[in-house]
Amino acid sequence: MTPTPTYTERLATARLLHRFNFGPTPGEFAALLKGGLAATRKRVLEHGLPDPGLDSVVAPNLPDLGPYPQGNTPAATAFYQAMNTGNQELVVWWLDRMVVSHYPLAERMTWFWHGHWATSVSKVGYPLPMQKQNETLRHYALGNFRDMARVMVVDGALNFWLDNEENYISSPNENLARELMELMTLGVNKFTQDDVTAAALALTGYSTVQSNGNVTFNEEQHYSKPLTVLGTRGPLNAESLAWLITSKAENAKYITDRLWFRFVSGTSSPPSSLEESFAGRDIDELVSALVNSPAWSDPANSLVKSPVEWFVGACKALKVRPSSLNTGDLLWGLSQMGQVPFNPPNVGGWPYGQAWLSGAAFQYRFEVSQLIVTAGDLSPLNVSPSKMVEASADWLGVPEWSRRTASTLAAATKTPSEFATLALLAPEYAVSA
Amino acid sequence: MINCEFDRRRFLQWTGAGLFATASAQLSLESIAGAATTTPLPASTPILVIVTLYGGNDGLNTVVPFTDPTYQSARANIALSASQVLPFTDSLAFNSVMPEMSALYAANKVAIVQGVSYPNPNLSHFTSMAIWQSASMTAEVSSGWIGRWLDIQPHSPFNAIGIGSTLPPLLVGDKSVASMVDLGGIQLPWGPAASLIPRLGRSSSSDVPLEGAAATSISDLFSTAQLLSPLVTKSPTGSFISEQLSLVSTLINANVPTRVWEVNLSSFDTHVGEKADQNALLAEVDAALGAFMTSISAGGRSNDVTVMVYSEFGRRVMSNAGLGTDHGTAAPVFLIGNTVKGGLYGEQPSLSALDANGNLVATTDFRDVYGGLLHDVLGTPVGDVIPSWSTALSVH
Repeated sequence: MTPTPTYTERLATARLLHRFNFGPTPGEFAALLKGGLAATRKRVLEHGLPDPGLDSVVAPNLPDLGPYPQGNTPAATAFYQAMNTGNQELVVWWLDRMVVSHYPLAERMTWFWHGHWATSVSKVGYPLPMQKQNETLRHYALGNFRDMARVMVVDGALNFWLDNEENYISSPNENLARELMELMTLGVNKFTQDDVTAAALALTGYSTVQSNGNVTFNEEQHYSKPLTVLGTRGPLNAESLAWLITSKAENAKYITDRLWFRFVSGTSSPPSSLEESFAGRDIDELVSALVNSPAWSDPANSLVKSPVEWFVGACKALKVRPSSLNTGDLLWGLSQMGQVPFNPPNVGGWPYGQAWLSGAAFQYRFEVSQLIVTAGDLSPLNVSPSKMVEASADWLGVPEWSRRTASTLAAATKTPSEFATLALLAPEYAVSA
Repeated sequence: MINCEFDRRRFLQWTGAGLFATASAQLSLESIAGAATTTPLPASTPILVIVTLYGGNDGLNTVVPFTDPTYQSARANIALSASQVLPFTDSLAFNSVMPEMSALYAANKVAIVQGVSYPNPNLSHFTSMAIWQSASMTAEVSSGWIGRWLDIQPHSPFNAIGIGSTLPPLLVGDKSVASMVDLGGIQLPWGPAASLIPRLGRSSSSDVPLEGAAATSISDLFSTAQLLSPLVTKSPTGSFISEQLSLVSTLINANVPTRVWEVNLSSFDTHVGEKADQNALLAEVDAALGAFMTSISAGGRSNDVTVMVYSEFGRRVMSNAGLGTDHGTAAPVFLIGNTVKGGLYGEQPSLSALDANGNLVATTDFRDVYGGLLHDVLGTPVGDVIPSWSTALSVH
């Protein structure tokens, strides 16, 4: 007979599932507890395998809508409708992938990178370039960061978002150059204003077709003379700039810190050994080191789930496909909670931690919980009332309900929908303890 | 707004009338007791309204040194001409999209603090905004300055209220956070689970700090909803900033016991096509502030309210070829109110003696502005909120 798992084992298992896999499917938490922590670590790291869960998720087939139409014509109306529909389909498609993937790490990492290279459709406008960027992020999500950076620096959506359209030799626009170094590769104070000015010149000569995200390079408009960036002198273009920047040790430290911050703790710093695992910029290796680190049993490392993480986790547990919900209700709910995929508030990505824990956000979390519970499969609650509270902690992957929540849930055992609502709204489910 | 007056009698009427039948009946004793003994904000209590402009508002096209030849030459492609400004001295003018601010300034109700920034300016949005919102130069301090002010107040979910659903760092303290009220109104949970949901807001000894914060957010929603939800109705469609400020003026005029309010507007990061974009945003801000001051002036809090308008930095003196400007440093801060001593404070930074990056050199430290507001409006010694800072710029 297997011994009853300790609280620390439950905590570590729950954290690994929620933080790297968007939470457990029904039964998964209990099964992984039985298998032990080593097997759980292995399980949450699985990726790159044929994923039958994703077979049924069809990517929206987005046409190139061409330039913005002039005037108030039926063609203009159709154009905006197509743009709007495409953008909605894109969000729902990605949420579906997060929920139904059998190996969710890849989607989880794509979600992380989306917040890292935070590009918003609010300015890009068209869904097609956003979809292309999303596929790029997915392709490199667990690959080599230097390769990712080299491709992302000429990504159409990112170039448009950060005004590289308007970056001229005669008058460089620093937006992409600065954010590339500050937010995407090195971190603040790891470069000088001279580095920004030079990097902006390295990024001249690229133009983006806004409607499809195609980037073309025009040699004549590119600054081809030698530039000094981060102490290295030579001619640079976008790709060689990204290659140069990501060769720096600061890049390894910065990306390691970012992963630690979003996956482990908003308050502590990673051990230096973690950074060493990223020496070759292999993201897979870094994520493995993170999953295999002792951090998961340290009680201090709690995080708040972002609204999308909370939503996807709930959909997984209740077996709800986001595309089966009313799209308008779903997007309204996500938007009110403050997080719609493809629409981060700014280039710094989404807030974190306590920012999500307001009373106003809670009222919308309730509304969204009702969409999920109404559509959801509550059969894991088909146990005797005396077992329901305990069973629900396993169902949702909660290490332990507090006495507050346990007694509240115990008062609702007669009505599974009521019970499920309370469980999804409990502080222990809003937070990954 | 008489029928929106909040006082104890009315509060009892509401609850007695059963408007909150489901929710209030199930509120914990503690929150009911707390709410019932809450008094309206005492008369003459000063109130601070903070308006955050995200993205780095171009101060030079807001308060315009329109006669300075360097201004005209450095940004020839976006400079405002004499016909596009509303002068208030022989060398300074408001952008002409700001008639309300111009009129308020003429009535001595606007203090313009010139050239405000902090030492060794950082051109990062995020670092710069973190410095402004934490009032700390080190990344180790993540609490907001209003959050730290909340930490030393007796706890009440009403002390500070932000508009929206996501808490800005400014409003997060080490122990306390502000409440958030969304423009969409306050809708308490409904349906069969509604009666049990308030119980999830109780604290539990096993809570980790973030779980405790999640529980507090739930209990704060219920305790603020009783007082606020009848007042928070979807306002007529205006700009985002005018809807936010209109809600704040409604709640202030109803004597909600709140000392600090926060609203914000984004998209000031005008690297390209600045003139059209910034003018549109400033016009919205100006109209919203004008309507806000009209509403406040007509209510019982006419002399209590001070508004601060700030952004994380101004922009480069030299414009770029994309008809925009890159990240800069110092910019003016507006302090607006019927008891504010209007006029110019600090010094206008030189357009020719720039720093190594071609940016303005600050003449006033932003912590002096906060110091004045802490002292004059919030009645708190500056050092209690901003450790090791003691100077203050008073505009009252």
